[in-house]
Amino acid sequence: MMIHPGFIRREIIRSSKQAMVFILCVGLSLVTLTAFSGFSKSIYQSLLHDARKLHAADIIIQSYETLSNPLSQAISEKVQEGSAELARYHEFYSVIRTNDDSTSVLSLLKVVEKGYPFYGNVVLKSGRPLHEVLTSGQTVVAPTLLDRLGLKIGDAIQVGYTSLTIQDVVLTEPDRPVSIFSFGPRVFIAAEDLDTLGLVQTGSRIRQVHLLKVNDSEQIDALAYGLRQVADLEREQVDTFQTTRSRIKRFHERFIFFLNLVGIFILVVSGVGIQSTLTALLNEKQYAIAIMKALGATNRYILVHYMMIVMLLGSIGMGAGILTGVFIQFGLVNLLSALLPPNTPFLIAWSGLAESVVLGILVVLIFSFLPLYRLRGMRPVMILRKDIPVLTRHWPVLASYGVFALFFFGLVFRHMQDIRFGLYFVAGVCGLILITMAITYGMLRALKGLHIRNLAIRQAVKGLFRKGGATQTIMVSLTTSLCVIFSIYLVEQNLDATFVKSFPQDSPNLFFLDIQPAQTAAFSKAMNQDVPFYPIVRARVTHVNNDAIDRQSERNKKRDNLARVFNLTYRHHLLDDEVIINGAGLFRSDWQEIQVSVLDTVIDMHPMDIGDTIQFNIQGVPLTARISSIRSRTKGSLRPFFYFVFEKDTLKSAPQTMFAAFRVSQEDIGPLQTRVVNQFPNINVIDLTETIRVFAGIIKKLSEIIRGFSVLSIFAGVLILISAVFATRAERITESVYYKILGARKAFVVKVFSLENLLIGLASSVLAVILSQAGTYVICRFVLEIDFRMFLTSCALMVAAAVILVNGVGIFSARSILEKKPITYLREQPDA
Amino acid sequence: MHSSGFLFARKDSAGRCLQERSYLIRIMVFLFVLLSIFACSNESPSAKSRPELQGNGDMGFGTIVAVGDSLTAGYGVDETEAYPALLEKRLLLDGFFFKVINAGISGETSSGTLSRIEWVIRSLNPDIIILETGANDGLRGVDPKVLEKNLDGIITTIQANGIGILLAGMKMPPNLGPVHTARFSKIYPRMANKHNIPLIPFFLESVAGDARYNLSDRMHPNPEGYRRILDTIYPYVLEVIKRRP
Repeated sequence: MMIHPGFIRREIIRSSKQAMVFILCVGLSLVTLTAFSGFSKSIYQSLLHDARKLHAADIIIQSYETLSNPLSQAISEKVQEGSAELARYHEFYSVIRTNDDSTSVLSLLKVVEKGYPFYGNVVLKSGRPLHEVLTSGQTVVAPTLLDRLGLKIGDAIQVGYTSLTIQDVVLTEPDRPVSIFSFGPRVFIAAEDLDTLGLVQTGSRIRQVHLLKVNDSEQIDALAYGLRQVADLEREQVDTFQTTRSRIKRFHERFIFFLNLVGIFILVVSGVGIQSTLTALLNEKQYAIAIMKALGATNRYILVHYMMIVMLLGSIGMGAGILTGVFIQFGLVNLLSALLPPNTPFLIAWSGLAESVVLGILVVLIFSFLPLYRLRGMRPVMILRKDIPVLTRHWPVLASYGVFALFFFGLVFRHMQDIRFGLYFVAGVCGLILITMAITYGMLRALKGLHIRNLAIRQAVKGLFRKGGATQTIMVSLTTSLCVIFSIYLVEQNLDATFVKSFPQDSPNLFFLDIQPAQTAAFSKAMNQDVPFYPIVRARVTHVNNDAIDRQSERNKKRDNLARVFNLTYRHHLLDDEVIINGAGLFRSDWQEIQVSVLDTVIDMHPMDIGDTIQFNIQGVPLTARISSIRSRTKGSLRPFFYFVFEKDTLKSAPQTMFAAFRVSQEDIGPLQTRVVNQFPNINVIDLTETIRVFAGIIKKLSEIIRGFSVLSIFAGVLILISAVFATRAERITESVYYKILGARKAFVVKVFSLENLLIGLASSVLAVILSQAGTYVICRFVLEIDFRMFLTSCALMVAAAVILVNGVGIFSARSILEKKPITYLREQPDA
Repeated sequence: MHSSGFLFARKDSAGRCLQERSYLIRIMVFLFVLLSIFACSNESPSAKSRPELQGNGDMGFGTIVAVGDSLTAGYGVDETEAYPALLEKRLLLDGFFFKVINAGISGETSSGTLSRIEWVIRSLNPDIIILETGANDGLRGVDPKVLEKNLDGIITTIQANGIGILLAGMKMPPNLGPVHTARFSKIYPRMANKHNIPLIPFFLESVAGDARYNLSDRMHPNPEGYRRILDTIYPYVLEVIKRRP
């Protein structure tokens, strides 16, 4: 069979707009794949690097006793054979005293060997490396210790049975934020001084940590597994930096998981765009193909030539996509350099690139199958009947969907490595599409049955059902892609709200515990400000609606439960980050009995509702209260919160302590702590400044990554929209001509097309918002485990923007249609 | 002879079982009285092996309030497995009808105990208070003078209300430093001497630091640990009961 390059060239040139959109769709699918393939490894390495820094090693072995012989031997063997490097440290509390014994402070000691930390740095005020400063007889301390003891660098402190000289001040350490609370400033001591301290004795409570840096990072899990096999797991804990119970680490995993979902979705959306565009392109060719067949062209001839058009356009798209992906990878160096470990080379991942090419080919083939298969139905008789080619057999459609589902599932499994989740995800997406199809079908049926008086609106509605039109397909494509875009935006907004806004400039960084009621006035005076005090009354929950709490089954729940001790409080106002979600106010004026307002978290522990009763045991004294309201708060916020809030009169006489939290500037923290300890030795001060800084910084980084992917997904949506308009171009031209022949002006035609686009855009975007709210809820609550908000105002704006965009793109794409003169059109018709 | 349910039944000429029934009834009444005497006795076989002090109803009832921190509250275990609940059961077995109320608060320091001791006395009306506090002061590095002053205030308040008191001594782990641990551990004997009150030398005797008797945090007793604590404190509780006027 002869190939006619001229035919191929002419076909592409004549449908240049659709061809361009096709190329862009193919390119976009590969841009995402290439960028994500390169970025995901970089981002993953960056996040892993953060995780490594947070744990200072690859493998972390902890125990409160000397390691068992088998574990100790196993570690020694690995070190001796060169598989890993070892550094140990002992961490424990001790009371540090000045040499004249005039003052003392509880401190958190870390007695470290030379290798510590393997990742991250201990930053000293002098800028010198830790082990250059930390030699025998010397110590490095946190600034607050100097403030508390009234000392300076060069002075000596008494630690255990020995005296050490302060050589430097520690500003940050890599693995401190993992354990948030500590009751004292940090003191670093060299391992050589451990014995002379004399504090490691029977009965001492000392955490012994063995850190391993594994030379081959691929062997970390295997090595950790081997160590676990010989460890006494009741008293020895073996973790890798990936398995330690770190909230940050868990969040990173879920974040990568979410990005994988985004990448797959964009790929699929691009594929839908490929199908729509190709359908539009081939629809324009249907008469030409019918004529060619009438002149003797075989199906094979037609198919081969159009396949070559598809492969040619696909190749151009793949090339453009790969180049753009690489360009983006290099072009965003500045953004990524803040995220990546130092000295990370920016190399093209050739294997990732090859994978992208293969996937690009698969996407083109899979999504081109149906449009190309329809070529068989384009018969010469169409010229006389003006028929639309339809698929008379269902097996191609079913086969196409089957292949698509397999491909999709394969993609999900490839990225998620979890068959069960892959099935859930594919089922979820198929469910999304089926729900969308069902709802759009219902909407269109309802519209079809409406009796509309206004001519323009009536014609717009009729336009939705034009012969050969694919309104439902367009709406499903639009809804699906808009749903993805809206979901990404809503997730980013929820991330932003939960973490970034949970750390506002004025969020408290110092927490004061155990303030006695009689000390509040003096404490406020000492702080030189009005201090908001939170009264705390400790109590247990014993009954709900007269049913006793089963403490054992409560404790078996792997989450917060009613078996523990709670901090009750009393007040008559809501805190800044609280809202009432059920109930007219905190308390009801028409109730005489004791009332309590509960946080929604309590409802998660045990079903309760307004009017139910809860019985408490306040240090032996029972108290029954009726639920008057249910509150909710910004989760992740560091502001104090209480599960149970009573009226003042109920608890003001109960035994209580006070709790205070407010913001103090960094330079005032040390002197303030000293003042508090001297005047109120019973009050504990907890400093969360560093923790807040680390957490907020990491989450800000992650939000920026999501924002980047949002831009890509919006671009995918726009392409879908354009391809959808092109899909019905031919029919719109015909209608436009007929309107003009019947006397309508251009303005009327514009109005009809605009209304049609408005209907499609409005229906698709409203449905997309509803579905994206559900999807975002699932992602926020169960994947990222953050609070969920609906952001209804933003949703309304997104709907408006989508409608404007759909209409704008639709009218812009149709301007050549609107300019078409009737006589020109009629002359172009084959049966004119 | 016929069988009418009685072994010795004889019919009279009218077929009635008279004399032997009356005899049996007398035997049954005698047995009933004998059993009643035994039932009213508080003495049980197991009581013979208990310490010499036996509850006999005259001094063997009242309210004991266990005031303290998480070691009293029973952090990490069910309240029924913490020492106050075990103490109540043991006392009941020995014939002492004392209600033992758990007024422990996890995390509390002696300052908190001082703040609420009057409320405890007013609300719970105890006859005896077992005072176990100060561990959190020590673990947080609070100056031992603060603990001593608070303990002094608490004990004075309790004694001013005519309530019996048993003081639980505490020690600190060696890692906190020799000066701190020594000063801390001397407080309790000093207070016991000053106020002439019984002292449990070390509340966590044979429990502290032993992984078998503690939760995974190595600081709070597990159920077995609390049973050992009960064995430690029980004789002292009995002593306080005996001291009551």
